[in-house]
Amino acid sequence: MKVSFERISKKYKKKWVLKDFTSHLEYGIYGLLGENGAGKTTLINIFVGILKSDQGRILINGTDVKKIGIDFLSHIGYLPQYPQFYKEFKVMEFLRYMSVLKGIPKEQGEKRAKELLEMVNLSEAKDMKVGALSGGMRQRVGIAQAMLNDPDILILDEPTAGLDPQERIRFRNLITKFSKNRIVLLATHIVSDIEHVANQVILLKDGELLRQGAPQKLTDEIMGKVWSITATDDALEEMLHLKISSMMRDDQGIHLRVIADDKPNDHAVHVKPNLEDVFLYYSSEGEKW
Amino acid sequence: MVRLFFFEFRKHFMKKSLIIVMICFSLLNVAKIYSEYHEKSLLSSSANPDWHELYWGELYEKFKGVMTKQKIESLMSIYQPLEQQTADKTASTESNNPNTYTGNLYNDHLFFKWNFVDPMEYSYMYQQYANDVVKNANENLSFFESLGNDYEYKKNSIILDRFQGRSIDSFSYTEMFQYYIHYDFSAFLVILICLYALMSVFVTEKETEMDVLLLTTKAGGQKTIFAKLFSASIFVCAVSFWFGLIDFIAFASSFGSLEAKFSPIYAIENFADTALNISLGEYALISLMVKTIGFLIVSYLFLFVSLFFKNALLPFIISLFFAFGLIYFQEAYMGSERIILKVINPFSLVVHRMLFSGTEFVNIFGFPMLSYTAAICFGIICGGIFLLAIFIFQRKNTIYRIGVKQRGDMVV
Repeated sequence: MKVSFERISKKYKKKWVLKDFTSHLEYGIYGLLGENGAGKTTLINIFVGILKSDQGRILINGTDVKKIGIDFLSHIGYLPQYPQFYKEFKVMEFLRYMSVLKGIPKEQGEKRAKELLEMVNLSEAKDMKVGALSGGMRQRVGIAQAMLNDPDILILDEPTAGLDPQERIRFRNLITKFSKNRIVLLATHIVSDIEHVANQVILLKDGELLRQGAPQKLTDEIMGKVWSITATDDALEEMLHLKISSMMRDDQGIHLRVIADDKPNDHAVHVKPNLEDVFLYYSSEGEKW
Repeated sequence: MVRLFFFEFRKHFMKKSLIIVMICFSLLNVAKIYSEYHEKSLLSSSANPDWHELYWGELYEKFKGVMTKQKIESLMSIYQPLEQQTADKTASTESNNPNTYTGNLYNDHLFFKWNFVDPMEYSYMYQQYANDVVKNANENLSFFESLGNDYEYKKNSIILDRFQGRSIDSFSYTEMFQYYIHYDFSAFLVILICLYALMSVFVTEKETEMDVLLLTTKAGGQKTIFAKLFSASIFVCAVSFWFGLIDFIAFASSFGSLEAKFSPIYAIENFADTALNISLGEYALISLMVKTIGFLIVSYLFLFVSLFFKNALLPFIISLFFAFGLIYFQEAYMGSERIILKVINPFSLVVHRMLFSGTEFVNIFGFPMLSYTAAICFGIICGGIFLLAIFIFQRKNTIYRIGVKQRGDMVV
């Protein structure tokens, strides 16, 4: 399975929200990383057919999605941003409904729904109403419905938004579990969501592709550009113009993690970059303090 | 598709709140019908217990059925003395007069006049009235033929056909049907229930953000819209028939009689000029069906309005505004001679007495179409337009929008 985005562009009024986005995806987890408004959801909406691109095309194994037509939908599983689902439906009933929508035969859908509920650890909750589920449980129902048709491409839009840390971890593990032999496109603005699970990271900014590569490759690219500085309260003021990714206070003073091409301070020492540093390095002008 | 329909029905119409509303409105409707009976019926068991007993206990049995000379003479032998005695208003007003049926002469006079003489006289005279109409229509036929006025010729030809051979041979108790036909409160309740229930059909998907997810599934596009519209139509029909059934049963049980079910519809005085040649029982059924068509059309309008909103409140208010607008429009043109203004209003199918009580025509490209036929045709066209508009304006997946569907083009 190979997905190719070729010069995908979308304009709202006079502003490009996606501009010449070109990328190629093969099996694995792809973290689509960008700030709010970077164009992640627009890209996903174009991919799943909710929005029409102004330019460009999407190819699946070399064939334009438009030519595949409605059958394309059988190959995708999609979890949208902030889904509420139907509060009055019971979990199993909801999955049955989604099976019908996806055109899965009754018995097959029933079997698959039970398997998935087992996998997402919601077997006990199958008779609970969706409205009574916690946010994390609801997201697990969400990924279960996305997996019902055993899709080749799993698309998750901000799936961990609003989840507590434990549910986030559980959800990340589920994504890894479901990534075998399929493409998972995971859009998020939370770096930790993809840091440990993504095979590739796609960095978006203002609708344009900044970088695409393995996390290790991206962090290697900014090797030598991440610094640690320990400062006193008095000296801190002078450093606030720098691109600071984190600050931590202890007995020795304030430890700053700074991203800069050149050594920002005589006392600055190199530290190993992480994905958050990459995000910060490419995405913004730095935190304004 | 069947399973999709059941899920849509379950999703939107099998809600606790809706069931509670249905139960409450049904009870309200029954209470209203019973109050109609007690307020309006001449034979109300609470308002006129003496009349009730006298009519059902003794006299109705005597005079019901085919109106024979013997029955008429028997009735007139009771009524004429009463009329003479009460004519100059000098008769005794005593209320315990043992020589009367109800204890009072005036009361007796009114009892016989309103319950037997007037209705029997109307029934007896109707044949003559119908014959006059036929005679006039015949004269008009010759007249318009000589003028070469094809439209008026056809119109009179239809009138002739409809009124020929009409007569009311039997006397029966028509009061139940009289009030049943003129009862509109349940229609108002059905409109309110439809308004409440239908607002969620499209809005729920937006409120729950499911609209986006639906579009990424094979059956989440047009099939789902079709399932929604079909389930909504079934719901509207079910509610309409449910209230129709309640109306009929409650009227029959409160008035205590279905005696006139085989009488012709023109046995009701307001329907003397009707173009229909059916019995009152058949009219009750047809009336329910026409009403249901009206509810469906109005419901499609509500659904269309709701398509453009993300929460239910605003479309509810706008739809309510439209509903009241249609009611006002109907009231305003009820007696108008501009028949077209009556028939283009889908609400005229909901409260359709005026369409059926007379013989009115709409000129459709030179052909005289009976107003109720025209109203049904306009209504169906109107409903079709709303349905089409829903399909057009409903958000679609770009794959559908492009409309390219080439199976077997590739193997993914």
